[in-house]
Amino acid sequence: MSFSTTLYNTFFRRNSIFVGTVFAGAFAFGIGFDTGATAFFDRWNRGKQWKDIRHKYVEAAEEEE
Amino acid sequence: MAFNGLKKAVTLSPCVRTLPSGVPAAPLLNLAARAPADPHDHGHGVAGPRSDSTPRWVGGVSRTASGLASKSYVTLSPTTPLSARFLHTSVAVKDAPQVPDFSHYRANDNDSNRAFSYFMVGTFGLVSASVAKSTVTEFLKTMSASADVLALAKVEIELASIPEGKNVIVKWRGKPVFVRHRTQSEVDEARETKWESLRDPESDEQRVKKPEWLVMLGICTHLGCVPIGESGDFGGWFCPCHGSHYDISGRVRKGPAPLNLEIPAYEFNDAEGKLVIG
Repeated sequence: MSFSTTLYNTFFRRNSIFVGTVFAGAFAFGIGFDTGATAFFDRWNRGKQWKDIRHKYVEAAEEEE
Repeated sequence: MAFNGLKKAVTLSPCVRTLPSGVPAAPLLNLAARAPADPHDHGHGVAGPRSDSTPRWVGGVSRTASGLASKSYVTLSPTTPLSARFLHTSVAVKDAPQVPDFSHYRANDNDSNRAFSYFMVGTFGLVSASVAKSTVTEFLKTMSASADVLALAKVEIELASIPEGKNVIVKWRGKPVFVRHRTQSEVDEARETKWESLRDPESDEQRVKKPEWLVMLGICTHLGCVPIGESGDFGGWFCPCHGSHYDISGRVRKGPAPLNLEIPAYEFNDAEGKLVIG
């Protein structure tokens, strides 16, 4: 049995499984997209965000005290 | 091929003129002239008179002494609605219409074609569902409080500044919040109480996140007075307005109050030793 036939029989034959797969895939896609976009944003703005430079100022404030 | 100028030494008279009667006169025109004997042979033999030319007795152009004359000796009757049409330009009917060959465009494998079609449909549905979900959640986010409002709505307390066995009252969203650093004996007392038989049964474990820190709204659940700390019959709080007594876990034990003192949302910041209310 070829790959396409297996694919059809597994996911596409019953509409309930088809729709369920689509919704589950949308859920996973949303999480993956958010994670990927956040990772890209952090990498693109590396060294500019507060969480990247926080240790400098927090340590300095403690030393002043 | 260099023509520097064009000169005419002789001007020829036009070869066609019009008689006063309106008939064109071309005295030297030879109507019997034939095309040269097929200088470019493309298969129809020697050029001659057209096969469908009208016979002489119908009429035609002839040379007369006064010039060209066109005469018809036959008058055809016009076609009537009942007469058959002998001339038409419609396409001839063919016996077997030729069907084009579509085999080049047909899919090689029906199974993979079907799977691919459903895959594309499913992928489009997946992306559409993601877009719809994102649209709805982003719209609902516009209704929630923004980050600056949320930041103002929180209160931070240095836990190290509160010694054991002391109360601190802080203002949070216009309301007093009691923070009690309980001693071990107070914790034991709060935990050993038979809370199942109280008016508002709640165990001490349900009311605190850390046993030594009791955080609750300082508003009497009866009519909204602010209870007094470290007083009352049960070693907790006492409301002076109508005499409600609360124990060391903030549970109502005596008096008109219907409910225990309310617990706000709070969390501990262990890294900085702070309590964040809100």
